[in-house]
Amino acid sequence: MVRFFKRRSKSYQTNDDWIRALEPPPDEAALDQLRSFLIRGLKASLYKNVDRGLDDFVKDIAQDALLKILDNYKSFRGDSKFTTWAMKVAVREGYTELRKKRYKDISLEEYSRYDPDEKDVIEIEHQQAQPDQQAHESILVQKVMDIMEEELTEKQKKVLQLLMIEQIPMTVVTDMMQSNRNAIYKLVHDARMRLKSKLEREGIDHEEVLNQM
Amino acid sequence: MSKLPATHEAEIGCDECFEELHIFAEMELKGKSPGDAMPLLKEHLDNCGECRQEYEALLEGIKALGNEDA
Repeated sequence: MVRFFKRRSKSYQTNDDWIRALEPPPDEAALDQLRSFLIRGLKASLYKNVDRGLDDFVKDIAQDALLKILDNYKSFRGDSKFTTWAMKVAVREGYTELRKKRYKDISLEEYSRYDPDEKDVIEIEHQQAQPDQQAHESILVQKVMDIMEEELTEKQKKVLQLLMIEQIPMTVVTDMMQSNRNAIYKLVHDARMRLKSKLEREGIDHEEVLNQM
Repeated sequence: MSKLPATHEAEIGCDECFEELHIFAEMELKGKSPGDAMPLLKEHLDNCGECRQEYEALLEGIKALGNEDA
């Protein structure tokens, strides 16, 4: 009997140990051990970004991550330590929550007033520039703005405005657009490809554009 | 705009990056060169601030746990 309990309270050393323990119904001791592991790792991962209430925050995140892990552990392919994979799930959970908390006051309504015809969102400083240089920069910036207007879809323009002008994190923009992070990243990537390609066709140097914007 | 020069057609997205991130992190911690083995993932981390932030945090978390087993 004693040997039985000793066996039950062992550490879960191998990936197979973990997978077996998480099979329904999951082993409570394994869940406790994994939760405790995630809490310790999350504290180290998140302490720089959480001013107050780190302990409570990471406990909540660890619990949410545990549920995700239980839902998805079968997708783990054994190509790392199971705990590394689990920590990855927890870190994404933590940062997603942190970013949302930080921008919780921003509502979709607030940003739904976007007007695609509005072009004065980027202000260019010319204080140090000479008159000829100013004129050149103004023409270049206007050209790029025109290219953005012509080449990008309304959705791309809206997402770029939120990310670049409003400086809102992608996680939050994803919620605002009722999309997912991968789709928003792909949308921005496609926008960058279109701009890059058009700039190249127009013979405009990327570096010069970057210096002006 | 600053990402324009580094933008390439074949770039992977956040989901594909997340799929392999734990492998990349373990290679890094073992002193191997994950960027050479997984260049598309490295390129994504260079271009995507949120994935990079999570990757660095993951490294911090695993390092802090050291070699302890869960």
